[in-house]
Amino acid sequence: MKNILKDNIGFIGLVITFSVLPLVLSYEALAIEVAIFSLAVIAFDLLLGYTGMMIFCQASFFGAATYVTGLSVIHLNASLFTAIFLGVGFAGILALTLGFFATMRKGSYSVLLTLAFSEMIFFIAYQWKSVTGGDDGLVGIVRPDLEILGLLKISLDTELRFYMLVLFFFLLSFFIIKRITESPFGKVLVGIRENESRAEAIGYNTRIFKLISFVICGLFLGLAGSLYALFMNFAHISNVAFDTSASIVMMEIIGGIGTLFGPILGALLVVLVSEKASALWARWPLIIGLTFIFFVLFARGGIWGLITSYVEKRRKSKK
Amino acid sequence: MDISFNLIIVQIFNGIVLGMIYVILAMGLTIVWGMMDIINFSHGFFYTIGAYFAYSVVSLTGNFWLALVCVPPCTALIGICLERLLLRKLYKTNILYQILMTFGIALIGRELILLTYGPVGKSFYTPRILEGTFFLGSLFFPRYRVFVLALAVLITVAMYLFIEKTKFGSIIRAGTEDKEMVSSLGINISIVFLLTFGLAMALAGLSGVLAAPMRGINPFMDVSILGICFAVVIIGGMGSFTGAILGGLLAGIAQSVVGIFWPSASAIIIFIMMILIILIRPRGLLGVRD
Repeated sequence: MKNILKDNIGFIGLVITFSVLPLVLSYEALAIEVAIFSLAVIAFDLLLGYTGMMIFCQASFFGAATYVTGLSVIHLNASLFTAIFLGVGFAGILALTLGFFATMRKGSYSVLLTLAFSEMIFFIAYQWKSVTGGDDGLVGIVRPDLEILGLLKISLDTELRFYMLVLFFFLLSFFIIKRITESPFGKVLVGIRENESRAEAIGYNTRIFKLISFVICGLFLGLAGSLYALFMNFAHISNVAFDTSASIVMMEIIGGIGTLFGPILGALLVVLVSEKASALWARWPLIIGLTFIFFVLFARGGIWGLITSYVEKRRKSKK
Repeated sequence: MDISFNLIIVQIFNGIVLGMIYVILAMGLTIVWGMMDIINFSHGFFYTIGAYFAYSVVSLTGNFWLALVCVPPCTALIGICLERLLLRKLYKTNILYQILMTFGIALIGRELILLTYGPVGKSFYTPRILEGTFFLGSLFFPRYRVFVLALAVLITVAMYLFIEKTKFGSIIRAGTEDKEMVSSLGINISIVFLLTFGLAMALAGLSGVLAAPMRGINPFMDVSILGICFAVVIIGGMGSFTGAILGGLLAGIAQSVVGIFWPSASAIIIFIMMILIILIRPRGLLGVRD
């Protein structure tokens, strides 16, 4: 019993933190945003932190899912789970396609390819006004009721109720991603991150592993996007734009690569700081950018790395 | 739809001019990649800052020629400083951090531009001496574009001679093939990196100046030009100088010609070409290494 508690202390901490979040923050919508971006950034952490693959097309999966979920609610009158499923499924297919190209080559070439693809998807969304609404966005995405097997029907019209739903999906996703990283499959991913040629030499088809990791990342980013569309009741071109990818990358680096908890901390910090700071100074991203450079230069473990090394130091000095 | 032959000729000309802007940008991107193995995500920022500097110079002095001469050295200087202060510290680390650093520079750079010039785009007028058009039979070509074409061709030829005929150029070519060998031959690779980066940033700044009167300026143009540049080097082949030229021209022409028939697809055609190239010939048309 004690062991179970000890092994899952992080998860328990996460549940507690996110349970009190809507109570602490000035309004619940902020907590929803934190949870959605935490979900997005841990999805990316699986790819960058555990597989060692950098991408710049996070927004493509996130944004595509906002559109698909939005469209299915508006035009097909889809139920909650169908709408989310369609969004996630579409993001998955997109990830499979982009992943096929991005895993063809290694190193910086693949990074460059993901940015080029992301720009292509941005332009398609921008030009295809009849479907996406172009610059005006897709309005009127009404949250469907939560229906479970026809037994239970809960309206999600309050932010707190919707937060519960987002929290459920976030914790579930965290649990799944955590399990993946601890599985033999996850260990292979780490092996690829550490030394791809060696993993290849042992006999792993590294491309397939990278592709699967890429698709998993795309699916969870899609989930985040679907929830975001339902949260905002609105799907906008900015969701597929480079800036969304950029903020996910910043949360990841500031939080701490390859730690899962770090990126969540990064998401929390970036969302909260931007919420407060944007009211004070329109150019606040400058500060986030400088912080980002600081972490890239001096603290590559991110905030989480700083915290753990501090804790470690104290423990040692006690001994 | 009646599309006259003349229109197509003029659009091909416009495409070549646009393509030459891409060529100058892609040359910088590709030599940096070849030499330093990094994808420079701040390339679009240097293009943007080049355009804004030109705007400042022209609004202060009214002299476009001054902008043309002064801005590239300025962007080169900024590039050199950033290389020394920030990038250089990361050469020994994973390539990821170098990419992230250029990305961070681009983000901060954009914020600084927004801070200095504001979020609204600026219009940039064609210098008076280059206003008007040349007529050739029933065809007409804007004078400014003819000038851009001539200058860009001149720069490209100069760069080609520089890369192929000079000692420094041969170091760059050798570095693209095998960096360790170059440094073990006793060449100070750190100076070479510095100068290569500076040169690439001068080219990026120059293309910003040249493009400004044709395409206008706004703080958010860095990402879209970056995406196009990346597609161009993928089409032409990473690390290949002639590939950058071919890729840039093809992209520019395709964009302009498709613009006649289907304007909303003109931004996407470059990426479709890119996908086709990756499928048919993954290393790009003239790529040097896989």
